[in-house]
Amino acid sequence: MSRKKSTATRREESRVAAERAAAIRAEQERRERRRRALVVGAVVIAVLVIVGVIATVVSSQKDTSGQSGAAPAGAVANGYAVPAGPATAKTTITVYEDFMCPFCGQFEAATRSTVQKGIADGSVQMQYHVLNFLDGSSTSEYSTRSANALAVVLDTSGPEVAKKFHDLLFENQPEEGSAGLSDGKLLDLAVQAGAPRAKVSQGISDRRFDQWVDNVTDRASKDGVTGTPTVLINGKKLESTSVADLAAQVDKAVATGG
Amino acid sequence: MQWSSALGVLARLVVGGVWIVAGALKLPDPAGNVRAVRAYRLLPETVVPTVGHALPVLEILVGVCLVCGLLTRVAALVSAVLLVAFIVGIAAAWARGLQIECGCFGGGGGPSANATAAYPWDIARDVGLLALSGWLVWRPRTPVAADNVLLPA
Repeated sequence: MSRKKSTATRREESRVAAERAAAIRAEQERRERRRRALVVGAVVIAVLVIVGVIATVVSSQKDTSGQSGAAPAGAVANGYAVPAGPATAKTTITVYEDFMCPFCGQFEAATRSTVQKGIADGSVQMQYHVLNFLDGSSTSEYSTRSANALAVVLDTSGPEVAKKFHDLLFENQPEEGSAGLSDGKLLDLAVQAGAPRAKVSQGISDRRFDQWVDNVTDRASKDGVTGTPTVLINGKKLESTSVADLAAQVDKAVATGG
Repeated sequence: MQWSSALGVLARLVVGGVWIVAGALKLPDPAGNVRAVRAYRLLPETVVPTVGHALPVLEILVGVCLVCGLLTRVAALVSAVLLVAFIVGIAAAWARGLQIECGCFGGGGGPSANATAAYPWDIARDVGLLALSGWLVWRPRTPVAADNVLLPA
């Protein structure tokens, strides 16, 4: 009886021991998996961070915003704007625009005669900030090429010719998403505006003022311009939701000298 | 395949795919990304360029991780955090009456007369993606995932 009981106890004891051993093994395996997961996870994360940092640095080097780039001779507003009309005019109208932007084209068409009159009688100075943020809307960086061409014309031929060229660019505005006007066409329009072909040809094809255009765009962004056309009259930003409304405000300001 | 497994795989592909597309569309225009970040007027100027340059890279990495099922829980967590940040950003722009393009898939700072009409849709999309990301944080184990090879259960 006692022998029999003792056998049962031994059997029970060894079963418990085996279970405990299995539990310990399982726990060790769990710890080992956990350790492995942590190591693998840490290694993968480290690799991803390195890749991410390298890619970010490479990408940031493509962004030349703010690097020094000579402004065209005759630029106003700290060298960021192309002027039209006398600096002494009592109304200064600042326009941020992109030659690829259709609303800018509509705004230009709607205000052309008022602005022309104001410039002619000396009461208005336009300050055009030409941006390139719509470069992605053409297949040939048309925004940058056209703004560069305007800078070249201002630099070599002065503000009167630049204003005529600026207007011609909007009158010949290409469709959004197209290749835009070719460099040859830009040159032809510059010549039509009165610029000597020999003086502007090189700068247009060399993209002489590309960095300046980048900087004008960067400055505009820092000054809170988030869309085009953005229009300021004597430094005060016009709030508006439609081109017609903007044009009406410009008409009124020019009429009242506001 | 259980429905929860199917949902997990679907969530990975949808959320990861959107991140990859969003990042890849932004990558070619680093200056534009910086302007888009700046347009929200939420971050100090000192960090704006870094955020603008790093964001598309981070988006692509998170997207690739999700699509491959690599470190799914961590990637889903980062995805959720980014989405919350974007929802806050868009809501803040909306509330303050800023008329900006969200810049969600590149661009940003464009003509934005109907920006206010787009904000609810941008937010709704991000909330949907956030829900899928949250599911993956909760249930990161899915079939056909790098995790299953790298970190067997």
